[in-house]
Amino acid sequence: MNALKIAATGMAAQQARVDVISNNLANMSTTGYNARRAEFSDLHYQQLTRAGSISAADGTLIPAGVQMGLGVRPTAVSVNVAQGALSQTGGDLDLAIEGRGFLEVTLPAGNSGYTRDGGLKRTGDGLLVTSDGFPIVPNITIPEDVSSISINPDGEVYAYFADRVEPEQLGQITLAGFANEKGLEAIGSNLFVETGASGNAVVDTAGENGLGSFRHGYLEDSSVDAVRQVTELIEAQRGYELNAKVITAADQMLSATTQIR
Amino acid sequence: MGNTVYATLTRQSGLMKEMNVVANNIANLATTGFRSEETIFTEFVVPMGRDNGSMSMARASAHSTNFLQGSLTQTGGVFDLGINGDGFFQIETPAGVRLTRAGSFSPNAAGELVTTEGYNLLDFGGAPIVAPLGASKIDIASDGTLSADGNPIAQVGLVIPEDLTDMVREDGVKFSTQSALIPAEDASVSQGFLEASNVEPVQQIARMIEVQRSYEMGQSFLEKEDERLRSIMTLVGGR
Repeated sequence: MNALKIAATGMAAQQARVDVISNNLANMSTTGYNARRAEFSDLHYQQLTRAGSISAADGTLIPAGVQMGLGVRPTAVSVNVAQGALSQTGGDLDLAIEGRGFLEVTLPAGNSGYTRDGGLKRTGDGLLVTSDGFPIVPNITIPEDVSSISINPDGEVYAYFADRVEPEQLGQITLAGFANEKGLEAIGSNLFVETGASGNAVVDTAGENGLGSFRHGYLEDSSVDAVRQVTELIEAQRGYELNAKVITAADQMLSATTQIR
Repeated sequence: MGNTVYATLTRQSGLMKEMNVVANNIANLATTGFRSEETIFTEFVVPMGRDNGSMSMARASAHSTNFLQGSLTQTGGVFDLGINGDGFFQIETPAGVRLTRAGSFSPNAAGELVTTEGYNLLDFGGAPIVAPLGASKIDIASDGTLSADGNPIAQVGLVIPEDLTDMVREDGVKFSTQSALIPAEDASVSQGFLEASNVEPVQQIARMIEVQRSYEMGQSFLEKEDERLRSIMTLVGGR
């Protein structure tokens, strides 16, 4: 009896939805996190009577046919790339990106990773790195004796020194953009790597090609909308229960069958 | 003895099929753009000879798809498109043009808008819709016009088949049709929304209970018939 298996695919789908929602809620306070959304589509169909087959000798066609759907499957967990709210932190190495660009960092393996988490730090040598210690591209080194740092919306980093009036430009932070941000592969720690679906990174200065600009002293909040997530959670839970009900009903029908004699 | 048993049996196997349909509807409660389906039972009349009249059986002979509008859920995605009214997106699959109402698109590496399965979204002329790379703002108007930074570039082609009953379901919330496609005039696109499945849980559960109880009724009927035949046999055999 297919109803049992169909309802099982339904339960698995709702379970996957709850997993995605719980990950979103767990990342409610993660800097630069974008909410994920599980997407589903129907499984294939059994064609018991094909629509358009002939039902009588005079060529009458069956208009609708009998098709049996076989359940549901998850097709995508897509990232909803949306601008999160910016909160002021006042940190002199905190950068928020207003727009759709990403910061490029060098991963330990030598390849590039991309992140929207602009909570930068510096190493003992003064190198500008992310919270996980990956250096940003292009590398920027901050001298030891600076008194303050200023980063303008275009990403130019200026250092002010106690003994000088004129600031010194240390470099310019660039942004990377993708044709399809949803196609990026998340590798954890707020990092993404490019895939065939995302297209190659287009690196440019901030403000060009719609990549957005920097806000110094701000961090981007997680774009998870708690109300929406909780509403979805309720839906997913009820959906799960409904599918479980189908299994119970199908089971009772089967047990009626076995009890005929 | 056959007739009573066989008439019930046809009904039972039809109910089994309907249970599968209900289960499939409920499993697709959260499938974007899914249309719920219903089973249609028809009478199947068997002539029984000159004096006995005829016997009618009920069988699941066709399916109808419920094309009622599903609710639109706000997602905020730039390429999430919900259809308001009767209409379908045209997508290009290896097997030909297919129709769908699941409007969760994203640009691929070449900038063409594709479904979650990677099939191109088409305009009225059958050409893929391309969202230019590097545009800072993409707007999709209610008539499907896609504009990048204010310049109109393409138009998403919403169509409807002339004969709505001539639609065959395929996996991935797709429909194929032999009927001619005409532009859908009373349909509009909402950017940043997705159309939810139009499955009504309450209705489905009610239908499920009905199916289950009818099935059990059929079974107890079969049981009674079995007892009746047996008592006749004892009666006849015991003489």
